[in-house]
Amino acid sequence: MSYSVEEVKTITDKVLNMAKADGVEVSFAGGERSATRYANSTITANLVEHDQSVFITVYYGLKSATTSTHQFDDASLKTAIEQAQELAKRRPDNPELMPLVKPPQEYLPIDAALPSAVDFGPAERARMVAQSVAICEKKGVLGSGYIPKLHWTDAYANSEGLFAYYRYAEASFILTCRTPDGTGSGWAGTTGLKDVTRIDAGAITEVAADKALKSRKPRALEPGNYTVILEPRPAARFLSLLMFALNARPAEEGRSFMSAAERGQTKLGQKVFGDNITIRSDVGNTILRQTPIGPDGLASRPVTWIEKGAVKSLFYDRYWAKKQQKPFTPTGPTQSLVMDGGEATVEQMIKSTKRGLLCSFFWYIRPVEQMTLLNTGMTRDGLFLIENGEIAGPVQNFRWNDSPARAFNNVSMLGRPVPMHIGEAYDNPGTALVPAMKIEDFRMTSISPAV
Amino acid sequence: MSPNRRHFLQSLAAGAAGIATTGAPRWAYARTFDAEREQAPAVRDPKYLEWSTAALGEAKRLGCSYSDIRFTRNRVQSIGVRNGQILRGGGGFGGGDATETYGFGVRVIHSGVWGFASSPLVTPEEIKRVTAVATDVAKASAIAKKRDVQLASVPAYDEFWAVKIEKDPWTVPLEEKIEHLRSVCSTMQKNSAVMFAVAMTSFEHEWKYLATSEGSFIEQEFHFTSCEASATARTGTQVKTRTLERLAGAGYEFLVKADMPGKAEQIAAEAVEHSMAKPVGQGLKDLVLLPSHLGLTIHEIVAHATELDRIAGYEANYAGTSFVKLSDLGKLKYGSKHFNVNADRTFPTGMATVGFDDDGVKAQKWPLIKDGILVGLQTNRETAHLIGEKESRGCTFANHWRNYPFLRMPNVQLEPGPKGSPTVEQMIADVKDGVLVDGSGSFSIDQQRYNGQFGGDAFWEIKNGKKTRMVTDFTYNAITTDFWANLDAVGPPESWEHHGLTGDAKGQPVQSNHPSHGSAPCLIRKIMVGAAYS
Repeated sequence: MSYSVEEVKTITDKVLNMAKADGVEVSFAGGERSATRYANSTITANLVEHDQSVFITVYYGLKSATTSTHQFDDASLKTAIEQAQELAKRRPDNPELMPLVKPPQEYLPIDAALPSAVDFGPAERARMVAQSVAICEKKGVLGSGYIPKLHWTDAYANSEGLFAYYRYAEASFILTCRTPDGTGSGWAGTTGLKDVTRIDAGAITEVAADKALKSRKPRALEPGNYTVILEPRPAARFLSLLMFALNARPAEEGRSFMSAAERGQTKLGQKVFGDNITIRSDVGNTILRQTPIGPDGLASRPVTWIEKGAVKSLFYDRYWAKKQQKPFTPTGPTQSLVMDGGEATVEQMIKSTKRGLLCSFFWYIRPVEQMTLLNTGMTRDGLFLIENGEIAGPVQNFRWNDSPARAFNNVSMLGRPVPMHIGEAYDNPGTALVPAMKIEDFRMTSISPAV
Repeated sequence: MSPNRRHFLQSLAAGAAGIATTGAPRWAYARTFDAEREQAPAVRDPKYLEWSTAALGEAKRLGCSYSDIRFTRNRVQSIGVRNGQILRGGGGFGGGDATETYGFGVRVIHSGVWGFASSPLVTPEEIKRVTAVATDVAKASAIAKKRDVQLASVPAYDEFWAVKIEKDPWTVPLEEKIEHLRSVCSTMQKNSAVMFAVAMTSFEHEWKYLATSEGSFIEQEFHFTSCEASATARTGTQVKTRTLERLAGAGYEFLVKADMPGKAEQIAAEAVEHSMAKPVGQGLKDLVLLPSHLGLTIHEIVAHATELDRIAGYEANYAGTSFVKLSDLGKLKYGSKHFNVNADRTFPTGMATVGFDDDGVKAQKWPLIKDGILVGLQTNRETAHLIGEKESRGCTFANHWRNYPFLRMPNVQLEPGPKGSPTVEQMIADVKDGVLVDGSGSFSIDQQRYNGQFGGDAFWEIKNGKKTRMVTDFTYNAITTDFWANLDAVGPPESWEHHGLTGDAKGQPVQSNHPSHGSAPCLIRKIMVGAAYS
């Protein structure tokens, strides 16, 4: 199910022409989400979901209301618009309401719906499963994987004449292999790929299967501080712990890691991480090919959040920027997120490590203390001891308690950034470019015999 | 896995755990409507019988060995107030707009494999098209199957079932609901040390019609009500939030009974005291855990670990497996002799209470743990045969018409102790060095549900049999079976409460479930405290 620019504009124009208010905005979203899931080396779920919707917001002075409908006939649109108009009038004034964004907004051109991803259907996914399962069987492990695909259109229009359109198609391949006796488990995967020819189901399966086999009979190590090498997936999850802190409002309201000691002040300009930490929203990045449309329909531009360890920018939405008399930010922190890396391979990181741990996956990360970014989480699906530059064997999983505020001052090596989802699940956009990282002195606090 | 916190509001809107990302697709499928004018759908509307009969016939014609069609219509109204001002989330969410989502999903088995497709366009032509898509998807998958799906038998039902409520939230004017929340906020804000006061409420009405090729036509109606009041205080650089959060399968009466206005002053005072509290320190301590806290602990280390699909490996790629093995049934010592746990889809006001599950299996109650021994598991039609059972326990559920149904936990309840069991006060009197814990906080556990680290919302030191002062920086570490083995007392029947929760994420694409977990207060001996902050 695909929506062209013309089809979407016909719908948004229709809404804008029908609605009578001081201001009107329309957000369109529609397309297909589909997925194949397998476990114990057999398909367990296979689905195709279709949706389309418009969210219609009307403004009367400081009053507004939003309604929505997923059916675009005249009667449905008329009902939605009239209800928005009535609800807005009943609503108390909202002093945080901002005027609509005016054109022109020059959106960076991004080709994000490549034919290989658009045409990636259940048959292609089933073939990948068959290929993966064949390797699993050869190696004597059980494969449990997930292959989600999105072919989606987001658009925004308002009564000031603004129109923005972004269509994309992407897929992921995520796999956990386990030994039949449940004593070994390994993970590998790649996410958010616009060019699905980059998905190598065979290579990913080889990695996950080998990790499962090598992780059998782990030994228990004492909890304590370890040098850790985070492969891109755990690195991406760890990076995600910073996202909330990049918002200016909670920082200036005194309730985030970026709040300075003095109330109302932030850490903007301060050096909070090591020299090798640079984090950006690289709108227009040719691998990510993510949306050029920012909050409220603004044209997003690249933003550097952290530069060589110093806080370079915080995200100001339009209301908070106006209140604080600062420029607003046209790009959200998770848009086209890139953490700059280095040239080191994971193998080189291992070689350079006297004693440490190689981590394949982080699981169930939850905040413990928001002001310090202290979080807890588990290792999973492949944890290995490194001794004198070599993998010495599997280790029982650890619970960790640590913070990027501390750990990003202890990064000693970085790999090349690769696409990896920063969220716990893999369903919505959320892929960033993230490098593998070697972190010194990481706090492992207890053992879990879970495999 | 667990509630990713926080809100009923957000999870109802987004339907998924995980971090919010800019530009994420809106899977809300919602239409907004006037809550006070719009009536609930007509019961036993004959068009659904007609449409579903056509869909099941089409699936049969296409060669499917099983099919079902499930229509759902969810109406949600959520309102949030922060420091007296109405919150405005994405799409007006939280601002009092009521949204509706309506659509259907068709599930089939063809060639021994599941196929599923869904759509918001509820017309006879689209139902036919979607049935064909579901069938095609199943056929395409057959090249990668190893074995055929095997379903336990189920009787056919033709029934209507509804949650009983005292007051329909949709008849209460928006203005009255806003005023209720504003009064909660203003009471909390009277405490000048409170930075932020937030009050929220949410109401959901769900209508569901399921028809299966086994001959069932089942219509159900549900109501859910949630509320939350929180105060945030900062002393120096220590920022603490105290939260009261309640959810139930109930109507407007639940908001009234939760009595947020009556508790607002105490919430504010405890937020301020917590922001000034000293760290609890590290070491082995006895814990007195209140039902508001135990809900999530039971969820994480009992309810998830006893899901049969996890034990069988279905969730290996996401939510995880379980430390429980099939061979543990009837043998595993899960906890002390005081530890008795039931699964229950029939409990009134439970968040996971139903008349029938999404396989069309009638709701039931059954034991999971008896006198500390594992005696039962959660099953559905697809998994029952794995433990040699002929019938499903009725644990299939989809959180939305767009999503495929699969095994989800029911309400899982820790039974109270016998009459005359120790009260909270008597438990405290029996503790030399311990902590009293209320509410839920930071929760994390491994993928097999063995090593958990749990926080809470508020903590009081217990010294020599007395509750002394609030403390902070509290977490405890629990190895599941050791933790419950140290269960020394469970409170009496009159102290039993159940707590609803949401955000229970499982499956790919991820779906959010909403069970309730009940218990009486518990006394657990010698648990490691404070390791997160060491």
